[in-house]
Amino acid sequence: MQASENKLKQVFADVFGMEAASVNESTSVDTVKKWDSLKHLKLVLALEEQFGVTLTEEQTVEILNYPLVKAVLEEHGVLFQ
Amino acid sequence: MNRDLVSSALARIETQPDYTAYQALANALEQANPDARTPPLRVAVLRNFTFEPVLPVLQGEIARAGFYPEIYLGDFDAIAADALDGGSPLYSFRPDFIIVAQWLETLSPALATRFTSLSAADVEREVDRIVAATVEIITGIRRHSLAPVLVNNFPLPFRRTLGILDAQSANYHTHTVLRLNAALLEQLQAFRDAYVVDYMSLMASLGTAAGFDERYWHMAGAPLGRAALLAFGQEYAKFIRPLRGKSRKCLVLDCDNTLWGGVIGEDGMSGIRLGAEFPGSCYQALQREILNLHDRGVILALCSKNNEADAIEVLRQHPEMILREQHFAAMRINWQDKVTNLTSLAEELNVGLDAFVFVDDSQFECDFVRERLPQVAVLQLSSAPATFAARLSAPGYFDSLSFSAEDRNRTPMYRDESERRELLRSAGSLPEYLRGLGLVAEIGIAGESVIARVSQLTQKTNQFNLTTRRYGGGQIRAFVAATAADVFYVRLRDRLSDLGIIGVGILVFRGADAEIDTFLLSCRALGRGAEDAFLAHMAAAAHARGCRRLVGRYLPTSKNAQVADFYSRHGFTAIEKNEGASAWELMLDAGLPECPDWMEIRLVQEEAHSAGQ
Repeated sequence: MQASENKLKQVFADVFGMEAASVNESTSVDTVKKWDSLKHLKLVLALEEQFGVTLTEEQTVEILNYPLVKAVLEEHGVLFQ
Repeated sequence: MNRDLVSSALARIETQPDYTAYQALANALEQANPDARTPPLRVAVLRNFTFEPVLPVLQGEIARAGFYPEIYLGDFDAIAADALDGGSPLYSFRPDFIIVAQWLETLSPALATRFTSLSAADVEREVDRIVAATVEIITGIRRHSLAPVLVNNFPLPFRRTLGILDAQSANYHTHTVLRLNAALLEQLQAFRDAYVVDYMSLMASLGTAAGFDERYWHMAGAPLGRAALLAFGQEYAKFIRPLRGKSRKCLVLDCDNTLWGGVIGEDGMSGIRLGAEFPGSCYQALQREILNLHDRGVILALCSKNNEADAIEVLRQHPEMILREQHFAAMRINWQDKVTNLTSLAEELNVGLDAFVFVDDSQFECDFVRERLPQVAVLQLSSAPATFAARLSAPGYFDSLSFSAEDRNRTPMYRDESERRELLRSAGSLPEYLRGLGLVAEIGIAGESVIARVSQLTQKTNQFNLTTRRYGGGQIRAFVAATAADVFYVRLRDRLSDLGIIGVGILVFRGADAEIDTFLLSCRALGRGAEDAFLAHMAAAAHARGCRRLVGRYLPTSKNAQVADFYSRHGFTAIEKNEGASAWELMLDAGLPECPDWMEIRLVQEEAHSAGQ
């Protein structure tokens, strides 16, 4: 599927209660204060819902920053313009 | 700014109620300052599994019902410790609702995952132990709080330990969980305001694949899949509306392409799709669903752009119609816009627009109503008529926690009300008309048989309600048992009908003072002087008991402005005014309020009536 990065940034905004515009390549578990293990689970739920994918068990634990999230979604056939 | 964030997140839920939208709303709510205009609703969650992913949905639904959600989340698997200790933070939180969320895998790992390791006697011991532990928790809660308690039952095993053999004996895995659920229900019924949240049925209708997510279970102790998070959160919220006087009461329906397929004005009686064959059968199924709601006490109304004669002909003559004229309390079949029609329906039926559900097939009409009357719940039924019945039922708009004789008779009562208005138009003066009605107010002191109805009235009555104090059955029972309080109810009859129990008054006695804790009247009984008769009787009863002074309070809400001057109109003197709230006194020795001369008062013994008759 085709998707815009804005959609992905909006998912981060919805999950972490941050501005979509402030999400960038350096957004990670180390820079977002609210990103704890429960938020991480909620991020997985939101990504799966919004992009219609099911992450593997390994992928659900390894997506610890924005570039990795993007890469995992690309592995599931999501094409970012 | 933050308010806008909440409003736009709420609007997003209306059009796309997905899990991510609930997360966005929950974040917006956390960032917003609790707004003075939305009253808080405090929900405590005691749990033995990772309940956190359900919370955004629960918080969002509480906000949609008009409250600001405040959540107390108990520590993981510390339910009993919280519940049994009166000094625990659970009770200083002063919850309005307490959720006890138990997952069988934590509660009894053996029963849930090692069934074959248990002997028949072990299994029974486990069942008894789980039921007894749950009863102990609720008993503990009731010692310290009167808040309604929501306790779940257990989903059936999604991996049957014995495979196909499992269904062959009542002593095997699946039937053991069924038995456990039945035993739990039986015990819970002994408690006031303790309710079963039916995880078993929810999970059955979702299906295992959508309901469970074993990845989340292993990673975070969170058993529920995304679909279940939505369904469970929404299910809990369904309990909040009826218990907080926010139930929807009236279903307003479009005709063409909603109640039948096609357009009566163009397709004619023989052309519209309605009958036992597809696709007409889909519309019949929807009509049956609507008729079930009617039988549960939901008021039905029509709002359709049509020639009135065309639509009425279908109601009267079409052989395949399930719904008929007598099922509708009011109709607006004309060419006016639907906002105007809904507003005038609300006026005629004396039901607030926030108790309306509006169903239509047209995107335009639905958007128009959503925008102009945001308090109305809007359901658009277009395309796939086979799904209409399920889509009407799923949101649980009209869910209630009681089912009384008054509910069964509601539409006839509202229709009688319309006839009464006709009588009023033809009679001369109001008192003359009222004298002609043969009104009888039967007033009694509440006892066991009417407690459910009395409690229901405190929860449902919004407009003619001086203090808007919502009481569960347990709290009403406490008033009834107290020597320093009396609970009065009034039942109204006239020559057209019996309106049932329509008013509640609670007096609390302190020395020479009697204070009116609660005074309310169902809006369909207004305008006949029943409130005057009821107040006169309560004042006389207080005086007879030796009280010298009657004290009343008016506590304003968004709904009860019509009673702001109730006490001044009845000869009370203001003794306190504070931000819209006021307190009033009446010296009883100086004279008692009068009963209108057209109203006959009969005092009744409780035994003469039962709420369920």
